[in-house]
Amino acid sequence: MGLQREIIAPKDPALGVPRNLDLPLSPAIRAGAFVFVSGLVAIDPAGERMHGTVATETRQILAAMTQVLEAAGSSLEKVVKANVLIYSMLEYNNMNEVYREFFPVDPPARTVCGAQLSGGSKVEIECIALA
Amino acid sequence: MSRRLSRSVIEPLNPKLNVSRNANLPHSPGVRVGDYIFLSGMGPVDPKTGGRNLGPIAGQIRQTLSNMAHMLESAGSGLDRVLKINIVLADIADYDEMNRVWREFFPADPPARTTCALQLSNGNGVEIECIALGGSNVADGG
Repeated sequence: MGLQREIIAPKDPALGVPRNLDLPLSPAIRAGAFVFVSGLVAIDPAGERMHGTVATETRQILAAMTQVLEAAGSSLEKVVKANVLIYSMLEYNNMNEVYREFFPVDPPARTVCGAQLSGGSKVEIECIALA
Repeated sequence: MSRRLSRSVIEPLNPKLNVSRNANLPHSPGVRVGDYIFLSGMGPVDPKTGGRNLGPIAGQIRQTLSNMAHMLESAGSGLDRVLKINIVLADIADYDEMNRVWREFFPADPPARTTCALQLSNGNGVEIECIALGGSNVADGG
């Protein structure tokens, strides 16, 4: 009995980051009413880390997040809480301008934090969404 | 869907690992709501002394994940029921070493995860928090 966890794999193999970058994490896990999405970094079509500006990385990440959520039967509209990590809080507005495009109305609850990120990424975004 | 959920506090069976209580900190070790368990950020606390093991990062991560396993098992859950885990390092240069230790604890179907480096308390090299499914048996605290 009880809820079970289900590993979510996005359709686009380039977004199979754990396999492509050999990392011990799952892109997302669904359990009960919720989907838990790993921190996503910008990835190019070949599945390698994409290094751009905060704006371009944010756009690429949120496009990928859309696909990961869709693989779980969810969508950006169903995101409850998002956490955004950026390498410098001086870039806060640059992130926000792009973020706004993806969440035009009733955006999720959110936390933003300036942090050191792995692999030279400038932005990393994770979320919890309704399944 | 209109079922009203209640929250209950989760504590480790080993009192030495009850940092919230031992250090008189204003947080609970964990909180259970419905099917889900939310654990506070945990560090490399020695289960025998209650002190901190601030040695090499691999040992700190191993200790922290062992403590997390104990905390989850105290609530009838376990590492294999973790859904989402956040790992905060003091130094992102420890990323590869962290991943190496990580595989020992999550050999298959690992949880969703986010990693970053931030300023941590008490000289910790690592702090780890998670959201997990509770025990499958309602007698475990559901």
